[in-house]
Amino acid sequence: MTQLTPQEIRSRLKDIQSLPTLPPIVSRLNEMVADQNITATKLGEVIEKDQVLTSKLLKMVNSSFFGFPQRIGTVSNALVLLGFNVIKTLIVTSSIFEVMQAADVGLFKHSLGTATAAGIIARRKGIKNPEEISTAGLIHDLGKIVVRAEFPELYQKIIDSTRENEVAIQQVELEVLGMNHEEIGGIVARQWNLPDRLTVALEYHHRPDKASDFAQVAAIIHFSDILVTAVGFGDGGDPWVPALSHTAWEQIKFSRQEMKEILEELDEKLVELENFTMDIREKE
Amino acid sequence: MQRIPIKMAAAGMKLAREAATPEGQVLCGPGTELSADLIQRLEKQGVMILTVEGHPVKMPGELSLAERLRELDRRFSKVAGDPVLKALKNLIAEYWIVQEKGEDYLQELKKRISS
Repeated sequence: MTQLTPQEIRSRLKDIQSLPTLPPIVSRLNEMVADQNITATKLGEVIEKDQVLTSKLLKMVNSSFFGFPQRIGTVSNALVLLGFNVIKTLIVTSSIFEVMQAADVGLFKHSLGTATAAGIIARRKGIKNPEEISTAGLIHDLGKIVVRAEFPELYQKIIDSTRENEVAIQQVELEVLGMNHEEIGGIVARQWNLPDRLTVALEYHHRPDKASDFAQVAAIIHFSDILVTAVGFGDGGDPWVPALSHTAWEQIKFSRQEMKEILEELDEKLVELENFTMDIREKE
Repeated sequence: MQRIPIKMAAAGMKLAREAATPEGQVLCGPGTELSADLIQRLEKQGVMILTVEGHPVKMPGELSLAERLRELDRRFSKVAGDPVLKALKNLIAEYWIVQEKGEDYLQELKKRISS
């Protein structure tokens, strides 16, 4: 196996071959959204012409990590309730998540779990559109997913070395790839024009105090990642709880009682997520 | 108490919490003993998860409490010096102990440790 330089990795990422291509519908939707007069109903109608995409979308928006009390039956309802940023991100990432849920259920569960925790924390902090924060949680490890799909041999090498040497995955990524999954995720998210708030959160989820305008979102994703790793749900590539940024903790910190309630709420939702992932795998 | 998918419920188990549909409609209260008939009716109404007393179902791949606590320690081993994360670890451990053995057991354990 030849060693790739970070420049070579960057250039391969610009021309991603093994990743599923973006659905053509995405550019159409972007054009439509640029039009100020567009309604959720019209956008919904365009998406609903693609039945496979529609059924995938509705399955995701009705899964427990968004935690909507009532069932969302149509795409236009989903657009109104969750916002365009969420729906667009789900459409853009749907193919790669589909690949991942079959190939790496541990990483899929880690992503869903982080999304769930992020939604719970965002609601407690009274943040507007908490579903957007859940979505940021869902895609926070996009970099790992991309490396797994585009450089499978290197990803395996990273995972093996992480286990053998008992070190954090970010450290091995730097040694093997010359950059870590935050940076790689950022490159791909920008290439796919994902919303800034979500892109910055994924780029800085291990150093949220550097996330300037989106420090609070990054802090929530940072802590959600820690929490889901701590309770042992899924597998983000290494088993170790990442270091906590105390600046981020100061921004979102909870009392002992609040943390207890969060754990309880998370635990309940994780049982539902376990069902959701079992269900998806049974249908494959 | 344990939260289980309704597919894993069996007659004789007792509800620790009310059974409700995903829309939040409560169908029966805590303390209800499940029968095969009742489980079938709840499933028809759309109930997916039940919270039952004790820990009657061993999920596939599920570890014992002692094993889970050992794994928890291991996962936190690289951040052992962080007081916030140490508090989080203890909180998770206490939560699991209460879930499986009850609050009295935890208090008893704490007494034993402090004496």
